Amino acid sequence: MASDLLNRRFLAVIGKGGTGKTTVSASLALLAASRGKRVLVAMSQARERMSAMLETSFIGSEVSTILPNIDAVNLDPDACLEEYGMMVLKVRALYKAVMDNRLVKGFLRAVPGMDAWAMLGKTLYHVKETDSAGRPRYDLVILDAPATGHGLQMLRVPKVITEVAPPGLLRREADDGLRILRDPALSGMVVVTLAEEMPTAETEELYPQLTRDLGLPIGRLVINQVLPPVFGAKTDNALRAAAVLGRASALEAVAQVGAARARREALQRTMIERLAKLPGQKVILPSLAVDRLRRAEIEALAKGLGAL
Amino acid sequence: MQRSLEDLISTRRVIVTVGCGGVGKTTVAAAVALAAARKGRRVLCLTIDPAKRLATSLGLKEMRAEAQTVPPELWGQPESTGGALTAMMLDVRGTFDELVTRHASSPEVRDRILSNRIYREVAGNLAGTPEYMAMEKLHAVRDDPRYDLIVLDTPPTSNALDFLDAPDKMIDAMDSPAVKAFVTAFQRGGSLSLSFLSRAMAKVLQGLSTFTGGGFLEQIAEFLSDLQGLFGGFRERASKVRESLAARDVAFVLVTSTDPMAVGEAMFFAERLQQNGMVAEAVVMNRVRSLPEQAPPSADRLAGILGEAGVEPAQELGNAFSKSWRDAQVWARRDAQEVARVARDFAAVPRHVVVPALDEDVYDIAALTHVAACLV
Repeated sequence: MASDLLNRRFLAVIGKGGTGKTTVSASLALLAASRGKRVLVAMSQARERMSAMLETSFIGSEVSTILPNIDAVNLDPDACLEEYGMMVLKVRALYKAVMDNRLVKGFLRAVPGMDAWAMLGKTLYHVKETDSAGRPRYDLVILDAPATGHGLQMLRVPKVITEVAPPGLLRREADDGLRILRDPALSGMVVVTLAEEMPTAETEELYPQLTRDLGLPIGRLVINQVLPPVFGAKTDNALRAAAVLGRASALEAVAQVGAARARREALQRTMIERLAKLPGQKVILPSLAVDRLRRAEIEALAKGLGAL
Repeated sequence: MQRSLEDLISTRRVIVTVGCGGVGKTTVAAAVALAAARKGRRVLCLTIDPAKRLATSLGLKEMRAEAQTVPPELWGQPESTGGALTAMMLDVRGTFDELVTRHASSPEVRDRILSNRIYREVAGNLAGTPEYMAMEKLHAVRDDPRYDLIVLDTPPTSNALDFLDAPDKMIDAMDSPAVKAFVTAFQRGGSLSLSFLSRAMAKVLQGLSTFTGGGFLEQIAEFLSDLQGLFGGFRERASKVRESLAARDVAFVLVTSTDPMAVGEAMFFAERLQQNGMVAEAVVMNRVRSLPEQAPPSADRLAGILGEAGVEPAQELGNAFSKSWRDAQVWARRDAQEVARVARDFAAVPRHVVVPALDEDVYDIAALTHVAACLV
């Protein structure tokens, strides 16, 4: 199961703030690694949180191994720009002359979208990277993208470059990046959402932007933090029962709590039905009753992702 | 420590809500605006990319960049207190266009910028622009005599720092000596002017051109050069807005959920505010779940009552009610822990408000009114 997803080479995890992108990225990484894949997780966070979740050493701006089969990096725009320049320009002398120039750096920083492209470009470079034997260094690269607006902006940059830049190395790089991003055999967007009104509405808006505007393939829609139903579809019965129980003053609070739960489950169902209309495969992940997500919970979620 | 935002809402000129994505910042901003209007103040609520349901809840078809009056009967104006509620959405692209139109040195420069392909692609999306444009808009309405209070909902950022740093970053990048040097290295309308440059620099630029392709650097330089003319004014105003945010009549309200991660972000932001000479005046904990401390009801007893009343399937429903209670207890205890932690860690913040979780998401006026009532 899930092999259609994990056999791709690049996954971008994207969604509204607070929906659990980092959790899903970490779960995907654990799942892929458990199946013997060499994984790189790239993220762009001001305050890196994945290491706390996975109980590993701090993840810095240089690629480091955090768990068996899992490397991670926190993308820093300046470091990425330098590294990416190095990767692309290859000839060290030329790189040195160009990138070590303070003015060039300042200029590049001012070019609109350059930061985002350097981060995405570096990530995609790792998709193409090979070892001395010519084998890919990583089987799977996972990008924990910035929240919706900024994430979309990042994924849009290669398209803008191919439309605006004249033929040249930059254009070729962007073309090549787009080729990888748009190939459903190589890439997949993993959209993360909650079964609540606002995240659902935002996801419905995000979908056409990813697919129609940018031509990117959807890998999965992850509906995260879904409350396990206790009433199921019996909302009406639940509400009738609440009315009965509420007559006893000692049970008023119990009736209210139950009715609220039943209504929330009903709302959740409606949202899931709405989300089900979006194309592509869906995965539902349960809400976990813990204070803080740790390795054990991420492993449980990874199992959930693998089973569906 | 105060438990209400009442004094802020009644006396301040500007209230800025800050917090990370997904904590209900926009809802709290709208509720603050509503509470102030009910107190008789004339309020402008300035939000960025709000959910459609919020507009609907304010009785508006959609949020627009123009000021829209929220019908008084909707927010329950107590007889003629003189309050008014106006909502406006920040249109990043439109604000940028407006600035270009207003500050371009000539109509030619204006047209050149507005029709530039790079500008058209990036004006709304450039990193830092939403934050910068929010500052601009705030500056534009700060002294507007039609409003007593301006509530600003900051752009949704992965980390709240962006709001303070992004405008400067954007301006620094565009207005740096590096860009100036580059811009002078290219002659208007054209190709690299080698006579201007040292040989080393010329070589560097040629190296860079192999990367970008012929003519592209010139295009970018021209674009930046046109924009630069605007940034003198931008910089000046950005620092003015920044200074004015430290004024006594401005209040920052931290908004957080009970998610430990969101609480951590709020803490981080409080520190950053302080470093910038600004003060967090309040912390709002949103969607806090609570429950009376009583033993979980026995499923069998509940089933018995339901069975007698003829509500079926009685046992199943009894179990479900019992389980609902136990789950709610877990959440309530967890949230109580976070509330206690916030009380401790944010002891320096003078106002702490807890907004209880509602059964459903807030997107109608009744729910918004309820949140507003919790704030005062």
